[in-house]
Amino acid sequence: MSQVFHTEEFANGLTLVAEHIADVSSSAITISLPAGVRFDPEDRAGSAAVLAEWCFRGAGGRDTRGLNDALDALGCQHHESVSSRHMVFLSTQLGRNLPAVLEILADVLRRPTLDDKTFAPSRDLIRQDLDALEDEPAKKALMQLREKFYPEPLGQGIYGSQESLAALSPEGLRDHAATCMSPAGAIISVTGDFDWDRLRGLVGEHLGDWSADAPLAGETRPPARGVTHITKDSAQAHITLAHATVTVSHDQYYAAHLAATVLSGGMSSRLFTEVREKRGLVYHVSTSYHSLKDHAGMFTYAGTVPPKAQETLEVTVGELRRVVEDVTEAELAKAKTQLKSSLVMRGESTAARAGAISSDWYHLGRLRSLTEISRAVDAVSLDDVKAHLQQWPARDFVMLVIGPEPLDTSCLNA
Amino acid sequence: MEFKNTTLSNGLTIIAEINPSAKSMAAGFFARTGSRDETDEIAGVSHFLEHMMFKGTAKRGALEVNLEFDELGASYNAFTSEENTVYFAGVLPEFQTAMLDLLGDILRPAIRQEDFDMEKEVILDEIARYEDQPTFKMYEHLMASHFQGHPLARNVLGTPDSVTALKRDDMQQYFDRRYSPGNVTLVGVGNIDWDAFVAKADETCSHWKPFDADRTLTPCGGSGVRTAVTDPKINREHIGVMSPAPSAQDESRFAAQLLGTIVGDTTGSRLYYALIDPAIADEAHTSYDMLDGTGGFLTFISTDPRRASEALEIALGEFGSIMDAGFSDAELQAAKNKIASSATLKGEVPMGRLTAVGFDWVYRKEYMPLAQQIEKLFSVTADDVMGVASEFDLTKVTVLALGPLEGI
Repeated sequence: MSQVFHTEEFANGLTLVAEHIADVSSSAITISLPAGVRFDPEDRAGSAAVLAEWCFRGAGGRDTRGLNDALDALGCQHHESVSSRHMVFLSTQLGRNLPAVLEILADVLRRPTLDDKTFAPSRDLIRQDLDALEDEPAKKALMQLREKFYPEPLGQGIYGSQESLAALSPEGLRDHAATCMSPAGAIISVTGDFDWDRLRGLVGEHLGDWSADAPLAGETRPPARGVTHITKDSAQAHITLAHATVTVSHDQYYAAHLAATVLSGGMSSRLFTEVREKRGLVYHVSTSYHSLKDHAGMFTYAGTVPPKAQETLEVTVGELRRVVEDVTEAELAKAKTQLKSSLVMRGESTAARAGAISSDWYHLGRLRSLTEISRAVDAVSLDDVKAHLQQWPARDFVMLVIGPEPLDTSCLNA
Repeated sequence: MEFKNTTLSNGLTIIAEINPSAKSMAAGFFARTGSRDETDEIAGVSHFLEHMMFKGTAKRGALEVNLEFDELGASYNAFTSEENTVYFAGVLPEFQTAMLDLLGDILRPAIRQEDFDMEKEVILDEIARYEDQPTFKMYEHLMASHFQGHPLARNVLGTPDSVTALKRDDMQQYFDRRYSPGNVTLVGVGNIDWDAFVAKADETCSHWKPFDADRTLTPCGGSGVRTAVTDPKINREHIGVMSPAPSAQDESRFAAQLLGTIVGDTTGSRLYYALIDPAIADEAHTSYDMLDGTGGFLTFISTDPRRASEALEIALGEFGSIMDAGFSDAELQAAKNKIASSATLKGEVPMGRLTAVGFDWVYRKEYMPLAQQIEKLFSVTADDVMGVASEFDLTKVTVLALGPLEGI
């Protein structure tokens, strides 16, 4: 399958990447600004999350309602999120409305109102999100696991804390916005139905003369790591584990991805078969790969009723380790088929592709075609997977559990 | 885009929306059965049975089903609601026949005793998992309250007691009562080879014995009661509001969908400006839920407990103001554009289009191409939408609050 990619690097440091997808009438846009939690001032964690919310409360002379109504009238569905590195605006719409949506989003990027009046509710929503996390123990466990796994503050929870949110002020956050809402290092990805020359022209017109210095990220500190138990009278014990692996740009990346698929891709995977199907220990168990630019981990979750938690932990850790010894050619072949099929199927979604090419540009500085990925997947041998697993063993776990009782963690060191 | 349909001699209907330019295909068996077709004694059996469908057949062992799906690179799963149970898989077109061979076979499960006992453990864990998700628990309580005395009050998962007490033969009897080929539709979407699709379905499913599997539809106006379910362990107040709405068979469902969007879409709606914009709630949205013979407008609100009553009254005030004063043309146009965009995006992926095509048929024996659906949506007038608002009375609500509060 041939893909049509376009890239344009503007002088101000902004990169536009795009993939034309035939036979669709939608288009998707992601705008990734170097304004993620990584850039939150040290005592003001949660800045990025509040800012992402605040940005959509008026821009370019429109008030909150004017801005939202303008996007709504274009059938635009937008969503703001924050990652370690980026503040991300995702927007989907019909391709014919793309130019008008881009013009409005350019206002959000360059001319957000950020007035005092709308600051308090923006912060209050994030404060409520933080509160709501207490009612979602599985999500909270995985968020806090990342915090302890990655060097600080790379894995920091996006909502900050009650104290850090209370420390935010409209003036301080406006200053923060001025330094980190910058084209330098920003990536815009567009997929689906568009005309490249027109798109490039529009982005140049609206954002080409936007200039600001690249934000400076502070030093990182070693992660907290260790074993954490958070006592909660919950129905399940929510067990999470993380161990280190290679990043997206590493030459063992595909081997790592295939190993994760053998462990957790589909219902015949190792973890699903051994922990759920053969032993009935859990409803949900999975391992997923997650990568920042310079650090990556395999993140495992298992949720079970407390009486079965100890056995669940031991069986899960056992499976994460056993795979290096006895992974088979058949399992590898199956994992390859799964990865390649899901690539094609995800390739049909404009929103999924917009995320994928943006991530490619950030991690690799180029766009990978589905053919390139397929070939790279095919080229991985069983020995490659084993060598990778030996080099990056399931050891030195960071563990975090939310549940009624602490678990015996001696199996982590066995 | 081409539509095809046929019916096997045993009554199994097969439909497909064929899109030769798609890069994948998806298929699903839509069984018209769910918790509303259960009794107290077998509460939770529909969902438990859905799990057992993946645990082997006369010719496939418990682990072989998952293995074969994965070997095909399939994206597959199943879900059970109050009134439908759907088994589906998406694959690259070259795997169409192998996938259908497998998907068709699992619809006649072996339900072996040892697999049944093991899976019961998994179901009990799934129930515990949802215990830790207050939004989900609130929805269960709300449905039970709004539909009290009606089959739709029955929750999908059952209870730990009902699942524990369930026997293998109870499940078999339920299967023998509900999974008649006439009560199941095979739906295909995407890059499909129609002749091969029908031939494979015929080979795999034509031995299924037909029997009567009717469902009696009774109307339901909703209880209209207000209840607080107190749980001091929960941090936030999770409020659910439900009022009657057109059924899945009702021609006014497009108008109902627009009304739901104007009132409570996640951005730019009445509830958004009244509750999210001033941060009175961190979640407040309404959707139109069309059901077999009935329907509901369903609103979820999540707030600080101390602002829960205020948030609820504001939401109810917005419902009343729509009924009294209507809405602007701009609000109606925005709602149309948003629904059209979202349906278009979903429709570009076979797995996304599958449920839309499937449920059109399950509920109305009708196929409507996406373009025509969007056309219908755009032809709805403000009067049509107001007609729904007044006929179904948005303020005739059942309210359920789950959280630390003792009353609302």
